[in-house]
Amino acid sequence: MSREERIQRFSFAERIMHWIVGLTFVYVMLSGLALFSPHLYWLAYLLGGGTTIVRWHPIVGLLFFIALIWMFATWLRDMKIDREDVDWIKRVGQYIRHHEGDLPDAGRFNAGQKGLFWVQGVTGVLLVASGIPLWFPHHFPQWSRLVSILVHEIAALAAIGAFIVHIYMGTAVVRGSLSAMITGTVSAAWARFHHPRWYRKVESEKVSE
Amino acid sequence: MDERNVRARSASLSPAAGVISPSETVAKLIDVSSCIGCKACEVACQEWNDLPPAETRPSFGSYQTLPDLEPNFWQVIKFNEVERDSRFFWNMTKYQCMHCVDPGCLRACPAPGAIVQLKNGIVGFVYENCIGCGFCITGCPFDVPRLSPSTGKVYKCTLCSDRVSAGLEPACIKACPTNCLHFGTKEQLVRIATTRVNELKMDGYESAAIYDPEGVGGAQVFYVLPNGEQPEEYGLPRDPAISLAVLLWKQPLKWLGGLLMAGGVLAAFTHYLRFGRKDVEINELSQRERAEPVDES
Repeated sequence: MSREERIQRFSFAERIMHWIVGLTFVYVMLSGLALFSPHLYWLAYLLGGGTTIVRWHPIVGLLFFIALIWMFATWLRDMKIDREDVDWIKRVGQYIRHHEGDLPDAGRFNAGQKGLFWVQGVTGVLLVASGIPLWFPHHFPQWSRLVSILVHEIAALAAIGAFIVHIYMGTAVVRGSLSAMITGTVSAAWARFHHPRWYRKVESEKVSE
Repeated sequence: MDERNVRARSASLSPAAGVISPSETVAKLIDVSSCIGCKACEVACQEWNDLPPAETRPSFGSYQTLPDLEPNFWQVIKFNEVERDSRFFWNMTKYQCMHCVDPGCLRACPAPGAIVQLKNGIVGFVYENCIGCGFCITGCPFDVPRLSPSTGKVYKCTLCSDRVSAGLEPACIKACPTNCLHFGTKEQLVRIATTRVNELKMDGYESAAIYDPEGVGGAQVFYVLPNGEQPEEYGLPRDPAISLAVLLWKQPLKWLGGLLMAGGVLAAFTHYLRFGRKDVEINELSQRERAEPVDES
């Protein structure tokens, strides 16, 4: 097989979906950080001013959540945590040091990607649930808003933590993943190396065709 | 606004400019025992602050003007109906911003300079800086600020800071016909309040007391209550305080969050310096050298 061979990794719909989730997340993250700390209030000016971000943050947040539901409907099957994932997590140190040899073969997504998916899912639900009382303060009792403030902030920090790892892995460490999310394809070598189980499945499906 | 008159400023990284020179604080004392519920203070407030008269509401089972504070209705006399020892009490209690010494709204506000505490103790909203997020509503232990759906800004009693800065007393105090409202320095008013509490005790109100909640560091607006043991009878919260949630949110979580995010970015950068990227080509080669099957094909 030639090294140039490209394998379809993400469909057009999956890429659109991913980028809606990604861009809306970046907006709510930056606008949220503007209100998180006075040290970061300059982000409010960058995004059109405090009044503007207060108006759009919850609306874009809902868009993020809707796209996240779409993502769940699309990827849930590929994101189920299996026995190999548990084993993978146990040896995550090897993955970090780029010793992939002894790691269990990853399927379409490795355990790290699945982790991101589930962190975004859980925090997404928490962020929307806690965001609504803060959006309409006069329609919710004060205790619920006080709880919401803490939940919203902790969930957001967890999501941002996962986001930092995701961006770093997707752009700097695993070369080819950003282009996979843009063009939809990866090289056969990339697939074989990063997602061997998925690669074998794709190849066997090709043979059976 | 002259920033030199400001003692504390929301979401600001440096102390307010007015901190260098201390000044006396003003205060309002509400003696509930001599309030007759005439609502002159409400009218004076609407008039001085140029707020349109509120629309008449369908009956809500009370003599008070409106059920609660509103964006253009900054003070309300609550007509609390209470039964105690099989006696009926009609506790008319003026309710408005307390101008706390430690204001929960100011702590919660994320917009720099949108809430200020003046040197004279008045807590004010600065509309050019207010972004309408409503966090002040959640931070306030007295449920006072009101977000206006039409302007997207939050409103509350200003303690007539415009009148006070011109040496006048607030409009409500000017209008009060029974002198149940007093205006002066906090020190003066505490003396008046103490005398009044003693009078009430002699009149048989043994639990008469001053209501000046410590949980918010005391307030520029404080009360004499004939039954000080039960502030709820006057529609006032028992032991109001800056919420633990607000304290956690504004202090440790900010530090922890900042540390986490900066740490995350630094850790990623360090990882890249130490381990670099995952190179498919090199790894494939090394795996072949180890004679491990790359795949099953």
